[in-house]
Amino acid sequence: MPEKLDVKQGTLALMILKTLEGLGPLHGYGVARRIEETSKNRLTLNYGTLYPALLKLEQEGFIKAEWRQSENNRRAKYYALTASGRKQLERETREWYQTADLIAAFLAPRREAR
Amino acid sequence: MRHLRAALARTAGFFSRDRGDDDLRDEMQAHLEMEIAENIRRGMPADAARRQALLAAGGLTQAVEAVRDQRGLPWLESVGADIRYALRALRHSPAFTAVVVGTLALGIGANTAIFSVVRGVLLKPLPHRDGDRLVYLRQSTDGPSGANVSFSVPEVREYRAGAPSFGGIAEYSPWFHTLHGDGEAVRIDVGLVTGNFFEVMGLSPVLGRLTRPSDDGTGVPPVMVLTYDFWLKRFGGDSGIVGRQLRLDGTSVTVIGVLQPAPFFPNRVDALLNMVVSPHHLSAQMVGARVHRMTEMVARLAPGATLEQARREVAAIHARMRQDHKDAYEPASNYRVAVIPFKDALGERARLTLLLLVAAAAFVMVISAANVTNLTLMRGIRREHELAIRAALGAGVRRLRRLLLVENLVLTVMGAGLGIIIAIEGVQLPTSLAARYSPRANEIRLDSVALAFTLALSVGIALLLSLVAPLPREGTLGSISAGVRRMTGGMRKQRLQRALVVAQVAVSVVLLAGAGLLTRTMMQLADVNTGLRTEEVLTIPVSLLDPTRVDPATDATNKELYDRMRREIRALPGVIEVGLGSTMPLMRTALAFDVKAEGTPLAVGEPIPHADLRTASPEYFRAAGIPLLKGREFSTTDRAGSGRVVIINRRFADKLFPNGEPLGKRVAFTGEILQFTPISSEWRTIVGVVGNTQDGGLDAEPRLVVFAPFAQEFAILGGLVIRADSDASALVAPATRIVRQIVPGVPIENVMTIAQIKDQSVSPRRLNAALVSSFGILAVVIAAVGIAGVLAFSVSARTNEIGIRMSLGADRGRVQRMILMEGGVLLAMGLALGIAGALLAARVIRGLLFGVAPHDPATFIGVAVMIGAIGMVACWIPALRAARIDPAIAMRA
Repeated sequence: MPEKLDVKQGTLALMILKTLEGLGPLHGYGVARRIEETSKNRLTLNYGTLYPALLKLEQEGFIKAEWRQSENNRRAKYYALTASGRKQLERETREWYQTADLIAAFLAPRREAR
Repeated sequence: MRHLRAALARTAGFFSRDRGDDDLRDEMQAHLEMEIAENIRRGMPADAARRQALLAAGGLTQAVEAVRDQRGLPWLESVGADIRYALRALRHSPAFTAVVVGTLALGIGANTAIFSVVRGVLLKPLPHRDGDRLVYLRQSTDGPSGANVSFSVPEVREYRAGAPSFGGIAEYSPWFHTLHGDGEAVRIDVGLVTGNFFEVMGLSPVLGRLTRPSDDGTGVPPVMVLTYDFWLKRFGGDSGIVGRQLRLDGTSVTVIGVLQPAPFFPNRVDALLNMVVSPHHLSAQMVGARVHRMTEMVARLAPGATLEQARREVAAIHARMRQDHKDAYEPASNYRVAVIPFKDALGERARLTLLLLVAAAAFVMVISAANVTNLTLMRGIRREHELAIRAALGAGVRRLRRLLLVENLVLTVMGAGLGIIIAIEGVQLPTSLAARYSPRANEIRLDSVALAFTLALSVGIALLLSLVAPLPREGTLGSISAGVRRMTGGMRKQRLQRALVVAQVAVSVVLLAGAGLLTRTMMQLADVNTGLRTEEVLTIPVSLLDPTRVDPATDATNKELYDRMRREIRALPGVIEVGLGSTMPLMRTALAFDVKAEGTPLAVGEPIPHADLRTASPEYFRAAGIPLLKGREFSTTDRAGSGRVVIINRRFADKLFPNGEPLGKRVAFTGEILQFTPISSEWRTIVGVVGNTQDGGLDAEPRLVVFAPFAQEFAILGGLVIRADSDASALVAPATRIVRQIVPGVPIENVMTIAQIKDQSVSPRRLNAALVSSFGILAVVIAAVGIAGVLAFSVSARTNEIGIRMSLGADRGRVQRMILMEGGVLLAMGLALGIAGALLAARVIRGLLFGVAPHDPATFIGVAVMIGAIGMVACWIPALRAARIDPAIAMRA
């Protein structure tokens, strides 16, 4: 069984935004499933993590929510990316790569020095 | 932008919480169902699919909580909940709440009131522009009436020329005038000022203009600036006052402006005038004579100059003057000049009294805070169980602390609210006390600063209370079961409670001892022998002097008028005797001069004695009840032109004729200053000796007094002394009517009986004693409640133990003694500490005492007995309760 990870603070928002960008409007369950699948089940999202994050993004205006009929005729709340959400996604993606580069560069020489 | 948006959304969420919750539940329900359906689709049995989905969801309630936290303002929400909870909890213990709020209100109220007085009188910045740059200069000498001898014009000139630290020196000469017109004539106190006065003082007009350098010198019209208070009082704040002509004695003076409200020092004034109104102030005598000292100096420090520099320069100039003009600075009198920040000078008389009140109020605060702390501790121990359960349910220590803090804040804010009401009502008393000592009493306000002080005080107390309260340690589940029985709260807290009770008793002793000493002071003062044989005497000062008409003919007319008043009042029913004199008995006089006695040369280095000059008609001594000790009274034959005679008082006789017979000896006034007065330096023969009187205050040393016949001196001052057969105050109306008929247009003020004059000396002390006593009584009551409370708590905590003791054979008496002992030890410790503290405190307030030693044994014993008795009563109640415990019930509980 793969090692389970906690979602790092701040990264969940990026994952949600990316998911919504890729799949279009989606309900909470869909978002959770997608993230879990993408992580090859190394991440699990319980409601207490997922829904506050969705609400926060909604409050910040990056996503918007509406109640809709789902594909198998269930009422569900669908989240969709807004224009400013798209911009935010770009920005965060860029920042994430920069940070990742930085961390990688930072860690590498240390390993050599040892 | 993003944060603002989120904040707005959250604030909105705070208000629409319930709707949001339903929405969220629906959403999560949908999520759950989809997951179950998916699990079934993958081949799980229905119940396993459901279980698996719930497992993945991970606690729905927590999720709702987490979303709620994100949605609204969780901090505010839970504080709101805390406040609601606190109010509910306090409603459930009304006795606790009432005692705590009441105690806090008394403490906070007392401190708010005293703080606003201290701020108004001592701390607040002066209304003068850059008021902290103003300094007051004071020249003083040794001996009576030497505290402030003021400056002469040549002296001022030298300071002005030689002290570069001063950016300007304002001169002001206290003077008086009679203001005529617009109703009754009144005597007003004025200051004659130089043109630069207002510029240096940094004061502005609220109407018109102020005097300026072009108003200096001769040949300019006399002008007048009204002080704000006088403008309101006399002219009702008439905005058309500027330009009006007012008649001051014989001179017509133009009002040019109204000054902003500002305190004056050393005396209050009604108006400020340029010098030209008094020919004397521009005369060669005034301007040229170094010993003619009647000018006050306030200076403004030059930019960059320090007080130290100014002091050094003034000291140097003063030393040089003493060197250059030896005759103007008699060495034995020890002339000296002090440079004092003006603000300190304004507050100096009030300082000691106010510090006393600050200390008393602070003590009350300490006691009430200690009491509230104790009550909170006890309540905390009773609530240990509740708090332990809360901790077990997941509330962290910080959360519990916050809960307690909110609860204590609710308590202290209620206390503060009530305290402010008490302060608004109670500030009158210390204000009227301050008004007797400080010209700034009208600046006392319960303003936002005072309220901020109150708020800070109550928040501070709430923090303190929350910190001392015991809290269960995180994760201590064990104490839940134990908490039901544990009521004693462990020895540590008991020790803290006991220490607090000891402190309360000690502080009460200090306060009560202070109150006792001040009360004794007041009683001693009231008992001082004034030197007069009776109090049924009415005094009516009547000044007929017109400073513009100082000539022998006018004086003769005035004396006739005085004599007519005397004769007509003498004829009133109920009047035994009427005398005329310059100064009323027991009142201080400004007429004091150097004296010499024939045949009594001064020892080397001994300062020249200074004596008051008072005039008296032959009837004066009998009317005032001043006993004649030797020789004779004045007679009608001691007229103008006959041989100069005087009567001296006993103090004078003792001082100048220590081993000889004064009768028949001669004395004379001396000194350069006489040339500026109508007073003769001729030798005068002593014909009588009278008893000492307490002129100028009951606590004052008797002064050297020379009485001259009213008829033989120029009547600079005058008044009637009327002895009544029964009630002197009944004569006020008929006597003043006669005076008004004979001299219409002359102000009649300060008509007082001897009893009233005496009371003037006692009443500030009485106020002082009353204030400190009320604080003392407050402290004792609070402390008594404290002792009783702690013991009662101790008894209820030990019910079980006492039950066991009784079932093992302890009788009721023994149990009662045990509890009494417990209280008695605390009481004794508090008393011992308190008396030690009171002895120290009494040394500090020594200056406010009169006629009692700071360690007055009677006061201290009285206080100890009183507190002991009250304390024992406070112990008795819980002891009785302990003795009534039924062992059978106690042990079953």
